[in-house]
Amino acid sequence: MKALAGIRVVDFSWVRAGPWATRWLGALGAEIIKIEWPENERGRLPSTTTPQPLEVNLNTSGNFNDTNVNKKSLCLNVRTAKGLEIAKRLIGVSDIVIENFSSRVLRNWGLGYEELRRIKPDIVYVSMSGYGHTGRHHHYTTFGPVAQAVSGLTFLSGLPDKPPAGWGWSYMDDTGGMYGAMCALTGLYHRNMTAQGQHIDLSQMVASVPLVGPALLDFTVNGRGSRRPGYPPGNRAHWPGTPLVDNYRGPTVAPHNAYRTDPGGYNDWCVIVCHSDDEWRRLARVMGAPSATAAKFATVSGRLQHQKELDEQIEAWTMTLGKYEVTALCQAVGVRAMPVQSAEDRVEHDPQLRQRGMYLEIEHPALGMHKVQNAPFKMSETPALNHLPSPLIGQHTREIVEGLLGYGHEEMCAGFADDTFWPIKRPRLPYLEEMLL
Amino acid sequence: MTGADTVPGPLTGLRILELADETGHFCGKLLGDLGADIVKIEPPGGERCRRVGPFLDDIPHPERSLPFWYYNTSKRGITLALDTADGSGLFRRLAARADIVLETFRPGYLASLGLDYEALSAENPRLILCALTPFGQTGPWRDYLSSDLLHMAAGGEMASSGYDDADVPNAPPIAPGGGNAWHMGCHYACMAIMAALVYRTVSARGQHIDVSIHEACSLTTEGQVANYIYRGEVLRRQTGRHHAAGPTPRTQFRAKDGKYVCALVGGRLNPKYVGELADLLDSYGMVGDLRDPKYQDPAVITANTSHIIDDLVANFIASLPGEEVYHAAQERGFTWGAVRAPEQLLDDPHLHDRGFWKEVEHPELGRSFTYPGEAAIYNGSPWRISRRAPLIGEHNIEIFCGELGLSRGELSVLAENHII
Repeated sequence: MKALAGIRVVDFSWVRAGPWATRWLGALGAEIIKIEWPENERGRLPSTTTPQPLEVNLNTSGNFNDTNVNKKSLCLNVRTAKGLEIAKRLIGVSDIVIENFSSRVLRNWGLGYEELRRIKPDIVYVSMSGYGHTGRHHHYTTFGPVAQAVSGLTFLSGLPDKPPAGWGWSYMDDTGGMYGAMCALTGLYHRNMTAQGQHIDLSQMVASVPLVGPALLDFTVNGRGSRRPGYPPGNRAHWPGTPLVDNYRGPTVAPHNAYRTDPGGYNDWCVIVCHSDDEWRRLARVMGAPSATAAKFATVSGRLQHQKELDEQIEAWTMTLGKYEVTALCQAVGVRAMPVQSAEDRVEHDPQLRQRGMYLEIEHPALGMHKVQNAPFKMSETPALNHLPSPLIGQHTREIVEGLLGYGHEEMCAGFADDTFWPIKRPRLPYLEEMLL
Repeated sequence: MTGADTVPGPLTGLRILELADETGHFCGKLLGDLGADIVKIEPPGGERCRRVGPFLDDIPHPERSLPFWYYNTSKRGITLALDTADGSGLFRRLAARADIVLETFRPGYLASLGLDYEALSAENPRLILCALTPFGQTGPWRDYLSSDLLHMAAGGEMASSGYDDADVPNAPPIAPGGGNAWHMGCHYACMAIMAALVYRTVSARGQHIDVSIHEACSLTTEGQVANYIYRGEVLRRQTGRHHAAGPTPRTQFRAKDGKYVCALVGGRLNPKYVGELADLLDSYGMVGDLRDPKYQDPAVITANTSHIIDDLVANFIASLPGEEVYHAAQERGFTWGAVRAPEQLLDDPHLHDRGFWKEVEHPELGRSFTYPGEAAIYNGSPWRISRRAPLIGEHNIEIFCGELGLSRGELSVLAENHII
């Protein structure tokens, strides 16, 4: 059984944040109908993840496949009266509408919340624009790094006296997607309990602000800003030689850092953290270096005071071992250590992820058999497993238009001739031709 | 927003028992701010993450931890020693009438007390029990210790974050700050709990959920995994922007006031974009040679990418305060942003328009403080903070006497015996 069996989602979302939300609603069992139009598609192209030797086209992006499993694709030109009418008919038999366009796009199409509610009174409508639909900057646009910059997330990452290092990807596309899914699910739960739908106005930028909560409270309560010497302290809990201040990531302890490991390649690093003197003594024993037992390192205040020397001694030891060896040696005696893992490391070398079935293969009609990322949770009654590869563009047009919405075959074929289900001027793909037979 | 304070949140009516440390209390906050009745169960004396600073006025005290305050809004609090016979008995009575138990104990701990899902669901088949742990309930790393930094390493965040050589040569990978490993785990836990709740509205059945923070972090690196699976690529770290297989043009520029601006220009440069960029720079008299007709040719643009980005854009941003660049660019349709320190957000008029900041009363201090509010505006059932974090055992009388019917005398005995 699937948790969301019987739930239908009209998915206007594109690029990453919105599709990441509906990916999970799909894994949880909802029927996701992705509305696309090849002329202004963003997510399938441009593709930098097409496996060689395949041609880069609308159906060969690996990243699109991973981001859009568990969905069906309806190719529909919503900018025509006929296309809009079909979209409305679909909304009328659906539970959730979700989109991540700029703030006024859906309203300008004639699909604002008032109209959605007229079509389907208990519809749950989740909009996921960059700045939200409310507020003077609603027309501003984001991509992940901009939302992260404006909200303060970027600033909290880096070395002191260097530019912010920030995040190496659109963290707020992943996380914005999580909030999109959470908003849809809470709206759905509320609807099931009260029979009332609603519009939920999510903003990618605003959603990042609560993620810097303790730093904000340090300012609103104590008047202490984050722009100060020694902050942010890189991987450390405290930067040597600067005033002792809190770091918003946990207790102020040492060691708390990244260390190079053998053989010294780009991702040959491990991290080690000791939360107590006892954990430190265990680490010192594993390291076996006589200096590790020096009195100056015996207490947390001593380790913080001599942190640079401490880190040098730990790294002299870690550089003699591989990162997985350091991890196993430390964890065996109750010391906190982990390897820095690349994607290759996680997919190929992480025994925990392998045992938990994190990357299972799904066959895609154009890409072939590939591993896809699975849910990070096990639900005992309603497992959230990926069950469909990402759709080819327009792959389910006939199934939805005829099967679900009840249009006749002739009507569907006419839609291919009048720019409704595929651009007239664009060559039709083989599976679209088959639909017309 | 007349009457908004009286409109119930979407999760109103749900009772959630939270047995969570720093790894899980954000999940409870999300559900509580959405209207659920969260009863946080702490060991007698208080949860140990009350000992993490910063503290109110820098005076360390378990009632003054700002992270604890922040992550425990909209909850009530009781104390209970689960590892005593009386404590586990009282917990079973609470669990029998709860909708959800959220727990972050090491795998097997609740079972060792006879309080695992099988035992609790036998008395309450509608119960949803969510176990949120560093590595999940199974697997070779199940019992490994962790921390926020450890998860950022193992989950792939560090492999993608840090500096390129132009900014900091030979820099280590840098773990993004702010405790986001816990956020990642809590977001997925919240999603799974919500899905289980929706399912329960049609099935009347609860279930067990086993969430792994390591898996949540491993999933939160955008295209990193797809790049490996489909292209075999291991991506390299680039300051303040996306990981990439090779070098990419910088996106972070220093403004006149020493603050930084995030401006994605490389990868978007085409004749139309150059024309719009010329308009923006020209409005400050800094257009340079951007109006030269040669830029109608995409090949010329490509050949001049470094000139456009490292000379013209960099000099333009260097001539103005960061906030001014941000707004001037956004008003002209550029997806650029100021790299702000958190404290700058308090002055953001857009956040004020959305009613984002909340004044939260701390009656025992006779003060109120400004808290960040909600990620989304729910137009039918508001997401809002209903109260400050609980004091240690603040609601013991309300819950143990008011709900479970214990006498004040019995409560005193429990306190004297370190059971509450």
